[in-house]
Amino acid sequence: MQAFGSGAMTNSIDEIRDADCIFITGSNTAEAHPVISYEVVRAVKGGANLIIVDPRRTPLVDHATLYLQPHPGTDIYVFLAMMHIIIREGWLDEDLIQSETEGFEAYSEIVKDYPPERAALISGVPEDQIQLAARLYALGERAYGDSHYQDARGHSTILYAMGITQRSNGTDSVMTMANMSMLCGQVGKPSTGVNPLRGQANVQGACDVGCLVNVFPGYQRVTDEKARKKLVKTWKVESLPAEVGLTIVEATHAALEGKVRAMYIMGENPMMSDPNTNHVEQAFRNLDFLVVQDIFPSETAFLAHVLLPAASSLEKDGTFTNSERRVQLLQGVIAPPGEALPDWAITSAIARQVAIKMGKDSASKQWEFSGTAEIFDELAASTPIYGGMSFDRLEPQGLQWPCPDQEHPGTPILHVGKFARGKGKFNPVEARDPAEKTDEEYPLNLSTGRVLYHYHSGTMTRRSAPLHWREPHSYAEINPEDAAVVDLKDGDDVDIHSRRGVVHTKTRISNDVPPGTIFLAFHWRESPANRLTQDFALDPVAKIPEYKFSAVRLEKPSAKRNN
Amino acid sequence: MITLTIDGKKIQIEEGTNVLEAALRNGIDIPHLCYHSDLSVSGGCRLCQVEVEGYDQPVTSCGMACAEGLVIQTQSERLTAIRRNLIDIFLADHPLDCVTCDKAGSCLLQKYAYEYGVKETSYIPIYSKTLYQDDNPFFIRDHQYCILCGRCVRVCDEIVGVHAIDFANRGFESHIATPYDGPMIDSSCVFCGNCVEVCPTAALLPVSRLKRGREWDLERVDSICGYCGVGCKIEYAVKDNEIIYAQASVQESVNGSFLCTKGRYGWDFAVNPERLTQPMVRRDLAYSLGISTENWRLPKVSPLDIDKPDVDDYFIPVDWETAYEIVSSKLVDIVKESGPDAIVGLASARCTNEENYLFQKLMRAVIGTNNVDHCARL
Repeated sequence: MQAFGSGAMTNSIDEIRDADCIFITGSNTAEAHPVISYEVVRAVKGGANLIIVDPRRTPLVDHATLYLQPHPGTDIYVFLAMMHIIIREGWLDEDLIQSETEGFEAYSEIVKDYPPERAALISGVPEDQIQLAARLYALGERAYGDSHYQDARGHSTILYAMGITQRSNGTDSVMTMANMSMLCGQVGKPSTGVNPLRGQANVQGACDVGCLVNVFPGYQRVTDEKARKKLVKTWKVESLPAEVGLTIVEATHAALEGKVRAMYIMGENPMMSDPNTNHVEQAFRNLDFLVVQDIFPSETAFLAHVLLPAASSLEKDGTFTNSERRVQLLQGVIAPPGEALPDWAITSAIARQVAIKMGKDSASKQWEFSGTAEIFDELAASTPIYGGMSFDRLEPQGLQWPCPDQEHPGTPILHVGKFARGKGKFNPVEARDPAEKTDEEYPLNLSTGRVLYHYHSGTMTRRSAPLHWREPHSYAEINPEDAAVVDLKDGDDVDIHSRRGVVHTKTRISNDVPPGTIFLAFHWRESPANRLTQDFALDPVAKIPEYKFSAVRLEKPSAKRNN
Repeated sequence: MITLTIDGKKIQIEEGTNVLEAALRNGIDIPHLCYHSDLSVSGGCRLCQVEVEGYDQPVTSCGMACAEGLVIQTQSERLTAIRRNLIDIFLADHPLDCVTCDKAGSCLLQKYAYEYGVKETSYIPIYSKTLYQDDNPFFIRDHQYCILCGRCVRVCDEIVGVHAIDFANRGFESHIATPYDGPMIDSSCVFCGNCVEVCPTAALLPVSRLKRGREWDLERVDSICGYCGVGCKIEYAVKDNEIIYAQASVQESVNGSFLCTKGRYGWDFAVNPERLTQPMVRRDLAYSLGISTENWRLPKVSPLDIDKPDVDDYFIPVDWETAYEIVSSKLVDIVKESGPDAIVGLASARCTNEENYLFQKLMRAVIGTNNVDHCARL
């Protein structure tokens, strides 16, 4: 966003199969986005190079032509060293840097301080591997076979996910990916770009339509007076709040202090998904009023004052926006159970009554809708990047934003010929280490994430019979070396302790995690991983918690504690 | 681009395309069982043979690259005889159970047998494969219907990249197997079911589909998967308000012919008995509002530490009017006492654009706070 002027996948999913070189970091693509991993497998079987940088050996590493395994938290040194090499060897795209970008001088000064020798020392990745990764990516080299494209430089694409963003320097890592793509001219063309793989069905859409504390629909800043004035008219209100609101984790802290007194939670389960669960629970108990609107009585629901039964995505129509910015139509497949209603019907009923009780009777009339098509039309009128969309244009394949007017065909590739913000900006980034440090008491690093057969807080998948059959209970992946220290065997019970709490689970002894790292998914209510994670050091810009690094130790449940 | 002629029709197609693909893309159907557009060419079934001008013998169209000026005939007396004989051979090792078969109506072997008028085999039938494997709740493997086209083997290797299955043994002993014919769960299988999707016969079927109605009685509804952010289009086969099975939609989509295990098999949460079906008020609030006479307090123990917390222990059901009245009064009271910023709204990456749009508009335009966030970072 800060680099190019837009926060989303720059390119489309079906372009991945034609890439010459694919660079994946911080994404367990085969488990978290399996259908995208199919694209990657196709490309590799056709001769593309696949570079994976990840402390954890994810399943897609089986297909990688080059696998770099940095120590947890040190990948940033590898990225900076790759760019150091690219500049030193002259593999950069000088034309693009000259004509379409700014800030190169300051950025390249900093990169000078990150030679591969330094990265190798800190990350444990051999220098020659970093050198090779830099060359393959920069020049878009293939392993074999002919390129789909005729350019002198092959097409390289970057795929990343929460592995680099759920860190106290997550924004830095994302800017580093943007810097690398601009440096090599691997942006604004098919099968290139910087592509965050988004983890939830409509996370892109929820951001697009303004469910963020600092922006209105379409990423118009709440602090921008012009944006407010425009929306005041569209929404027929007297004024709109101008101050940036509280993010999820900040809101939890504020609730603990009593500054936030009520929460309305729609389709979310912070008791499982937010960091430092014990804090979250105290905060929710401290609220004067908590409304939870959901399809199941989630762990969060048991702390609510009122539960509102919602229809699931299989039981309603509307639109989702996918990771490649494609807005697509949902259709109700079955009827919702009992009295459950679609969320839009519940929220608009609440809005009507709140408006009346606040003495805004006329405003309450704005909340009568005949259906989702009518809501979408209002949404499109308030969201410039959706401006040209309507339900009848979304069949059969949806439209990719930006789509500003009714003639616009949508935008499969961003930044073609010109960056959205005008000039692409090189943001100088220095390496920073994770916020929490390991010590003698907590010598290991815990990283959280997902497994193939479950999704997010497990509310849905753990109630699916086949998925439950395949992955019925929680487990922590532990390297044999770490397991041996506390005499743990595969399948043993284990307690994981952090400075926040303790979680009980079973071991899965595996070389897929390096020594010193424990992996625990956050799907399991019986082993809630977020009782271990920290909420004190968020990324300063994106406010993302550092789920990928918490200091922990292992204990046999029967063993007496030594400290 | 090169130009060739198929059945008298001039066709322009990019170089590297095979003749079968060129025909299919131009609405000319050549029978084929082992060929699939997304997979490598195997050429095993021989059904897609065509006449090529200048060639004495028919050629498999899947294995022939389009070349400038090529003239192809997809129908001839000789081709019909060849295809009839091939289908005849397939039927010699494939029980004609169409009257009870779950695949009837979407089985490709049945379709071609019908089109070429092959009612039964003229050979002595030998049903060589009898293995029936129902070792997992995702799909069954009923080898008697397998025609060894190899589509499942190729999709598993070439698209999914896990290579859990392959051909084992030779001749009449040939079958598709996991290593040492072990259970699916002991193989590298990821239960994505893309093998089931591409299977032309009833050899691979979703468990949820078995004996649940004929193909032509199922209603089809396309929607978008509710799990990760890829946005796969899924075609749900529905009967009497129940989902029977799910497959990749045939329409243009992000995911083409493929899905993952969650999208294809993970929809049954929707009918789990734990679903919330009516608005509910917590017992202590209900007491204070006079809706309930029982004085109750929220247990101190964390809901996470209770094995199976029961929603009825904590809440009592109310009607929607009462629920809306409680929610709106509470929110408005707090706004009046402590200002709009004392309220926080958390929206959802699992709700639609319309719902999230309305949610943030409620927070901003009605309540008057920018305290609206969702799980984008989590």
